[in-house]
Amino acid sequence: MNVSLTILELAVVSLGIAILLVDLWLPEQHRRLLGYTAAAGVGLILVASFLISVPSAEYAFGKMYVMDPLALFFKRFFLLAGAIVLLLSVEFSDRIETGIGEYYTIILFALSGMMFAASANDLILVFVALELITVAFYVLTSFQRNNIKSLEAGVKYLILGALASAFMVYGIALIFGTANSTKFGDILAVAGSVSSNPLFLLGILFVLVGLGFKIAAFPFQMWAPDVYQGSPTPTTALLAVGSKAAGIVLLLRILFSAVPQIASQWTSLLIVISGVTILYGNLCALPQRSLKRLLGYSSIAHAGYLLLGVAAVSMAGSSAILYYLLGYLFTVLAAFTVICIVMREVDNDDISSFEGLHARSPLLAATLSLAMISLAGIPPLAGFFGKFLLLKAVIEQGANEPGYYCLVIVALVGVVISLYYYLGVVRTVYWTNPSPGQASILVSTPVRFMIYACIVGMLYLGLLPNAAVNLAIRAVQVFHL
Amino acid sequence: MNGVGLEHYLIVSAALFCIGLFGVVTRRSVLVIYMSLELMLNAANLALVAMSRFNGNLDGQIMVFFTITVAAAEVSVGLALIVALYRKRQSTHVEDLTTMKL
Repeated sequence: MNVSLTILELAVVSLGIAILLVDLWLPEQHRRLLGYTAAAGVGLILVASFLISVPSAEYAFGKMYVMDPLALFFKRFFLLAGAIVLLLSVEFSDRIETGIGEYYTIILFALSGMMFAASANDLILVFVALELITVAFYVLTSFQRNNIKSLEAGVKYLILGALASAFMVYGIALIFGTANSTKFGDILAVAGSVSSNPLFLLGILFVLVGLGFKIAAFPFQMWAPDVYQGSPTPTTALLAVGSKAAGIVLLLRILFSAVPQIASQWTSLLIVISGVTILYGNLCALPQRSLKRLLGYSSIAHAGYLLLGVAAVSMAGSSAILYYLLGYLFTVLAAFTVICIVMREVDNDDISSFEGLHARSPLLAATLSLAMISLAGIPPLAGFFGKFLLLKAVIEQGANEPGYYCLVIVALVGVVISLYYYLGVVRTVYWTNPSPGQASILVSTPVRFMIYACIVGMLYLGLLPNAAVNLAIRAVQVFHL
Repeated sequence: MNGVGLEHYLIVSAALFCIGLFGVVTRRSVLVIYMSLELMLNAANLALVAMSRFNGNLDGQIMVFFTITVAAAEVSVGLALIVALYRKRQSTHVEDLTTMKL
């Protein structure tokens, strides 16, 4: 047993507890510092994570926990997302009436859950890590408890999240009963003999249902728009980036480390789910007037794009997913930062409140437009190259199964549909005039810094993708494909 | 254990799971839906314990401890949330959860 492998998670949890304790004695006017401390702490842990190198997979807790390049990649990913979201919550803190210290702490606990999920090598750890994320999000979504929208979002997430965990536990029970183990290595060893057992297959299916909920894939997507719209904006940002990436890493680990044979048998199921998710997300986003809700539907569509890489069942597909997530992180966090700042004056995220943003704050207008362009997948930004890699991975598999070509066409149709609503936002930002009486928006220095970081991330990944692609390719070497 | 095999336990657990799922789908009160969800989780616990017993592998029972603990945490957060909703809305019916549309 090697507890020191979990040092990054332990650091995040300790930071969370420290914030909680300091919050008790800190006078009200210094609470803002608490958020900056948390963000700086997470940033430090991120920097420290570069001191760790994992040449080969190492295990802890009886092979329940694995530390390999994939785990390390996702841990850094989550730490980066966590640091940015914490800065965003400081920006948001004046809109939370009570308990801002707890808000930071629960973000940190959710972050530690995501980091454990990145290292899961056993279905028990999968379940516990997912629940750590989900229960933290029940609180985070409903944190503005005097706001009926926030409460509604929390209750909807609670009911559907608990339903997904029930499916997940039942699936784990069935897998345990048939494979007689919950460890990925043992399941892989016996998968050949039990893969014809319908109970085992049902178990895998139920686990996929639980994960499908996390990443908001069709038909488990119905919570996403409401929860995205109602939640406090930093929560939505963390939900869009962290929770989705945690679901994806678990999906990859279970499908490609534990049951690779079944993943290659079920390609048609994965193709259909991916295609329907893309179309559903993009078509439903068209009539939306609320920007957060629009991004909720767009996140469903992006879950579909990410599933393209899963459906490809190949190394190229998995590494494309990792690259895509990295681009998605900068893009979505940039978009939600702008939404958070603009919503400060008008507590309304209707697209009309972004009218004339170019006159009120050129920086915010440019950021929001870049984010929308990257989400739509227009070169030279990160979103374009990510989609290109995903589609390339799918086409490479086309020789084995013609369904892949249909999937590529569906994905391209989805991209074309999405241009309409993404560019609609850009049009609102640039080609309308601000209504009279709307003052220009001041952006505080830390947020300005964060926005620059997101823009640099989007441009860097889009223009010089080599380093990130190599990183992603190295991380996915752990799969048995 | 005469005559009671693994399949009996699994049938009971599958029945509990289906009853729970039926409750989640058909009931209109958030509290009752939440109770049905607990039923589904307990169905999974029953299946885990039974399989653990018949496979002679204790891992399943350890998983049950985790599930119970997590379910307790989930209930405490969930009920607090439902109480907060009731204070605001004076109702816990799902039909009243319609502030956000389109």
